[in-house]
Amino acid sequence: MSPLTSPLHDRHVAAGAKLADFSGWSMPIEYAGGGVLAEHTAVRTAVGLFDVSHLGTATVRGPGAAAFVGSCLTNDLSRIGPGQAQYTLCCLPDGDPQAGGVVDDLIVYLHGPDDVLLVPNAANAADVLARLADAAPSGVTVTDRHAEVAVLALQGPRALQVLELLGLPGELSYMSFVTGTGGSGAEVTVCRTGYTGEHGYELLVAAEHAGELWDAVLEAGQDQGIRLCGLGARDTLRTEMGYPLHGHELSRDITPNQARSGWAVGWQKPAFWGREALLAEKEAGPARLLWGLRADGRGIPRPGMPVLDGEGTRVGEVTSGTFSPTLRTGIALALVDATAAVTAGTTLAVDVRGRSQAVEVVKPPFVESHVR
Amino acid sequence: MATPDDRRYTDQHEWALVQGTDGTSTVVRVGITDHAQDALGDIVFVQLPAVGDEVAPGTPVGEVESTKSVSDIYAPVAGVVAAVNDALTDAPETINADPYGAGWLIDISVPGEGGDPIGGLLDADAYQAVVDGS
Repeated sequence: MSPLTSPLHDRHVAAGAKLADFSGWSMPIEYAGGGVLAEHTAVRTAVGLFDVSHLGTATVRGPGAAAFVGSCLTNDLSRIGPGQAQYTLCCLPDGDPQAGGVVDDLIVYLHGPDDVLLVPNAANAADVLARLADAAPSGVTVTDRHAEVAVLALQGPRALQVLELLGLPGELSYMSFVTGTGGSGAEVTVCRTGYTGEHGYELLVAAEHAGELWDAVLEAGQDQGIRLCGLGARDTLRTEMGYPLHGHELSRDITPNQARSGWAVGWQKPAFWGREALLAEKEAGPARLLWGLRADGRGIPRPGMPVLDGEGTRVGEVTSGTFSPTLRTGIALALVDATAAVTAGTTLAVDVRGRSQAVEVVKPPFVESHVR
Repeated sequence: MATPDDRRYTDQHEWALVQGTDGTSTVVRVGITDHAQDALGDIVFVQLPAVGDEVAPGTPVGEVESTKSVSDIYAPVAGVVAAVNDALTDAPETINADPYGAGWLIDISVPGEGGDPIGGLLDADAYQAVVDGS
């Protein structure tokens, strides 16, 4: 099967991108003349432009669409109003052997009580949409828009200036969105969100206008030090912030309680998928918990590596690990057994290919967040 | 970047270049190829053997690690480590910038004078064929 490509694929090839498969999508990891370190630094100090069109997009529309979504996904949609977005989770329902496990994490854009836009991960979009479509009451329609919508992420301290140069609205509070037109005249939904820990935006645009928006953003960003950024830098940036990535920190085997994502669960709601299982686990205390690990040395923890206590006993496993371009050392996220009774400051070790690398337990983020 | 034809290669993406002789043995300089550094991406850590270590083909002698992944370094020839490129400790990105020059990794002293300790390795054309075929 040939991989799916973004509407911006030809531009990535022209820019010398190294492409890799992301859940069936051929997407840039890094660009010629850049590389993960330079791209990461651009986002922390100036501004970076990412194509994240592999992210799914879908609409849920019809009478009571928002209330329906709120009765399925974990977070409390009644906490936000139209024009605001919310991070939420789709969990396996009670009755499932893995009830409370996470099918996907996603962003919900609330347009109105009868109109919701979902942005799930590429790998899980079809599953989430099928579950919602199965559960939808009559009159509420779930429609996949993946191929129709491109998603660009503009991230970094100078992102606002770039939007202003384009004539796009940027003075938004965190997780708010508006629809505007800029530069090329195409309609663009601008949301103050992102996955980097910097002040940033995600731009949703019709696929046929993605190229002209991409070109306009790059041109407007020239004097702001803009750099094209691939998904390699996106991963180092999110890991420094301790943001979970589905398939690593969240999965069908890992619940929101274990991943410290309970803040995205509307515990007071009468119903959502996995509610009973998650409440019970919360009450009992999760058997393992997500922590940050910071290497004290040259070893870089990688996913799947064992986490060891002072006696060399295995107490957990690395879920994500990389070199932190900001801290210049290895960092990791790891699920650690509750019985190990670790806390911030505890010294553990990671088995890095047979060598013991000492790590300090930290509560992420590893670097200061600037999203608000 | 062209594959230099002044040296030999392995299918593990290392290069080997005869530096000369120290009187009793032949000194072979070893590094990774441009293809290898490009595939790894930004290199952030390098772990090299110690001077005096005995090395032989097939056994890892060190590691080159990038933001994305880690790659073992193999000795293309058997011998004793005569020198390591200590400058890489503080500037591992030198391997990305100049893989065939300042980004060299180690010198291996191969016992015996004369002969051609790297003659059995791939020449530039054969190595390029490996890259093109991968």
